[in-house]
Amino acid sequence: MKYATDYGYEIKPAYGPRDVAGLDYERDLGDPGRFPYTRGYHPEGYRSRMWTRRMTAGLGSSRDANLALKKYRAMGQTGGLCVIHDRPSSSCIDADHPMARKENGVLGWPGSSLAEFEALMEDIPLTGQSITLLGCCAPSALRLAYVVALAAKRGDPLAEIHGSVTESPFSNPFGQTDVQPFDLDMKLFLDSSEYIVRNRIRMRAGIVGQHFQESGGNDAQALAIELAMLKEVCGRLVGERGLAFDDVMRLPYQLVSIGTRFFEEIAKVRALRRMWARMARAHFGAQSDKACQLLIAVHTSGRTMTYQQPLNNVVRCAIQTLAGAIAGCTAIDNATLDNAYAEPSALAAQMSLNTQHIVAVETGVADVVDPLAGSYFVERLTNEVEAAAYRVLAEIDARGGLVAAIEQGYVPDLLESEARRKFRALDSGERLVVGVNHLAVAPHEELFEVPVQEVEASDAEAIGRRMAEWKRARDMAPVEASVRRLHAEAGQGERHNLMPAIIAAVESYATAGEIMGVIRVARGLEYDPLGMLQCPFRLH
Amino acid sequence: MRAEAAERGAAARSDRGIRVIISMIGLDSHTTGAQVVAALLRDAGFEVIYLGPNQSPAMIVGAARDEDADVIGISAHASNFALIEELLALVERDGLKDVPVVCGGHIPPRQVRRLLERGVARVFPPGSPGDAIVEYFAGLGRRG
Repeated sequence: MKYATDYGYEIKPAYGPRDVAGLDYERDLGDPGRFPYTRGYHPEGYRSRMWTRRMTAGLGSSRDANLALKKYRAMGQTGGLCVIHDRPSSSCIDADHPMARKENGVLGWPGSSLAEFEALMEDIPLTGQSITLLGCCAPSALRLAYVVALAAKRGDPLAEIHGSVTESPFSNPFGQTDVQPFDLDMKLFLDSSEYIVRNRIRMRAGIVGQHFQESGGNDAQALAIELAMLKEVCGRLVGERGLAFDDVMRLPYQLVSIGTRFFEEIAKVRALRRMWARMARAHFGAQSDKACQLLIAVHTSGRTMTYQQPLNNVVRCAIQTLAGAIAGCTAIDNATLDNAYAEPSALAAQMSLNTQHIVAVETGVADVVDPLAGSYFVERLTNEVEAAAYRVLAEIDARGGLVAAIEQGYVPDLLESEARRKFRALDSGERLVVGVNHLAVAPHEELFEVPVQEVEASDAEAIGRRMAEWKRARDMAPVEASVRRLHAEAGQGERHNLMPAIIAAVESYATAGEIMGVIRVARGLEYDPLGMLQCPFRLH
Repeated sequence: MRAEAAERGAAARSDRGIRVIISMIGLDSHTTGAQVVAALLRDAGFEVIYLGPNQSPAMIVGAARDEDADVIGISAHASNFALIEELLALVERDGLKDVPVVCGGHIPPRQVRRLLERGVARVFPPGSPGDAIVEYFAGLGRRG
């Protein structure tokens, strides 16, 4: 058995005052609600606002996903909904694309048009709960357009809608790859971000550190990547789009992954708050307190959900939820016991949501803010992960920032070698996982087979056929007019904001593939990212 | 990144003389498992051609033919597994019947049984020991 964090800090058998000798309470921790916010942003913690307890939905057709959302509401998920795209729509490929045929509705919601969003949200209010849509960067601008368009159709004031429907392009190199080029994803992400900030829309943008950690990165690397992503995105919105930093900071939220190494995960989140607060002031010259307070949401780790003995995952999920709650966060969405198999079944979803409700109302951990502050061990771990993260961040900065560090291969190599190291640690028994390399049972001795939610090939093909039929039945004149406008505007340079033209195209029921396709053509790319379709429009 | 991986994949012939395609299938982009297995096999002396994500069954079979591969390894994460069945049909149609298809990753037991019935040679679930994977692939060379 090895006593060390995943980033290589050797853990001692006991900790005392000497381990935190340099710690200055006011400078390094501060009371809850005080800079540098190590202990959180609210003096009253969860007493003033309980974290949003939610489950990620999306599987099968939009109607199927709509029914799942309604079921989650009945299970007590009333603070906010969370939906993830299926694979084709994550890449802005339509359901009738040849590569989508057998993947529609797999692992998510087939959200490639406003019509699908309308079906998803049928009889579900846009206001009064947070609306979170996830799944790759490419459809971010479209998702924002869906919300704007549906709000207009329903007569809901945009100002009353909140949530997060956009995410940064940095998921692409970290295992959530869409098929669109990074520079196009970045341009559209900056467009949607600028649109949100300038119009004072209460929508956050996901800066998703989770994918890096879930792809095998260690805690310190994940922390460094999270800060580097923020630095790059905020820097571009200030530098390239002319926004004030304090306004920009109404936008991002960081989605962090929480694994089973309990104290280390709590330390990581505490360090993230402190490191951001200092970066906001020192690097960006933040004026307001708010701009120093990074909104943090937690995803309990899907990576740790084992294929073997899946009921064990209920326990892992509970430990991680407890860590997320103690660390302090604004929302938690859980992995589920069947995560190694499929999207959650109703049983698994209920287990995960109830895990959160139990932690929130039965354990008492939500009664006191940052209850582990002052623990010699946790404060030392917070310092250690921070120091290790600063070392990685310095390497990234030395390469010219995160985009450059990815292009130069530094970050991909970091991730790949860390993933290999994690595999070897498991393979050699240096790290133990119950049911996998410790106390494993033969497959035929498994006492429980999880009910698995599956999408059959026929379901996927039906979604594709429906889209093909729906496309033919549309009124094509407004579609053609809107994509021509979009194509023309997409030729007007990187900083020309395409959001208004994208919203108009979405409102005319142009699809994700069509909208992204004509933008691609304007940038000198093939209409279809996979080179299988011709552009169906006359664009001039 | 992908170009670099391809470059590494095209490296000199290995000591074992066994050529292995490792690929994702369809739009699945959970590449960690495939990358780890590719590195594991490469370190063990196999010649690995790593195709990466966004590969259709036809593209994978085409690569297997062009590269004269001995075995096709597919990494799959909780997918709709119909694409793997389509791959099996293409392997047979193109006369590559002596090229076994091996799968790994998050594949539910019912799907594992179905894939084995349809002709997948072996399925390695998550948590499979590295030695077991290497040993199995070592037995698949066609060139003796």
